[in-house]
Amino acid sequence: MTVWKIVSWEPRPFEAPRSELGRFDPERAGLPPTSVDAAAKYVAEHRTARPWLTMADTASPEALRIIAALDAGGGHGHIRHEGWVTEEASMRRAAYREDPAQLDPEKRSLGIDGLGANDRPHRCRTTSTRITGPDAFATAFARGAEHPKVREALDMPFDPDGKPGEVTVPIADLLGPDSHRYCTGWRLEPVDGSMKDAQTNRNAWLVARAEGRNAVVPEPQARPVPTFEGGVITFLFARNDAEQRYEIVTMFPRPAATADDQSGIN
Amino acid sequence: MASFYWERHPDGPFAILIAVATTYLDPENYDLDSLKRLAKREDREEMRVFKSELREALRDPSQLPDDELWESVEYDDGSDEAFLRRLWHDLYGDEPLDAS
Repeated sequence: MTVWKIVSWEPRPFEAPRSELGRFDPERAGLPPTSVDAAAKYVAEHRTARPWLTMADTASPEALRIIAALDAGGGHGHIRHEGWVTEEASMRRAAYREDPAQLDPEKRSLGIDGLGANDRPHRCRTTSTRITGPDAFATAFARGAEHPKVREALDMPFDPDGKPGEVTVPIADLLGPDSHRYCTGWRLEPVDGSMKDAQTNRNAWLVARAEGRNAVVPEPQARPVPTFEGGVITFLFARNDAEQRYEIVTMFPRPAATADDQSGIN
Repeated sequence: MASFYWERHPDGPFAILIAVATTYLDPENYDLDSLKRLAKREDREEMRVFKSELREALRDPSQLPDDELWESVEYDDGSDEAFLRRLWHDLYGDEPLDAS
């Protein structure tokens, strides 16, 4: 397959607003209350079984507290869309639907979801994205959870069958000017100019591979998202039936759509 | 600012269909079981409109706005019509399309 050189991203420090993150109440986002000390203990206890918690090694204590609360809750944004997911893993998610949360390499290569029950197939949009570090991720989460659009969703009256619709907030509104540089991603290479055809081919290729057949469609290719300038952070919600409330189940950056690629958001 | 179809066109054709399908069937948060339960809720005006729009879209998929449905849901059925047919069957079983 094509080997893309990653020229659009290099590690850059994010200055965490530590006081602001320290004031953030995880319960505002439907997450369990967590102290800085309890969060450090949680990470130490669970990092072997939940290796994405290694992201906390480079996090400020205040960001670590938010990440521990996220991990103890039901969300998976930090597992699939934070910097512990390498560029290669992000590329393989877009191209082959390999789930970074799947810790069994064989199951991961077969596209089996790492968090769902019964070895269900992993689902992924045509673009796989991430926020490149824990402080930026936690900041986007904390600020997003207080954004009026997200609050409206979280504060909706609980319905045992329903849930709020997706919400987008500009990346710059959450992380400041030029903050799109803290986001990276990979997207399927269009087939004959069509992303829909690329997705159809991806599915056909993966089915053929799983059945040990030679695919009649070309192997999926993914390429780096050129820029997240003008992009958004998308917040998705789920029910917390035990608590009778809604919570943020995942969040991830989405690039703006361009004239030649409509897989971003319009 | 970037936004969803139903935010850009709240009164646009099939806005409820696309919004509900995205909420429950986005690959990043796929939850068909909840949508199946919701589809049975006659008390939800939104779901009555959803069913009506789904029926209308199935009768003539060419009326759907460009690629808005696929761009929102990123279904893997290959075409709007195939996706809509599967969705109708998943939610309403063998109920005829022309039933009131």
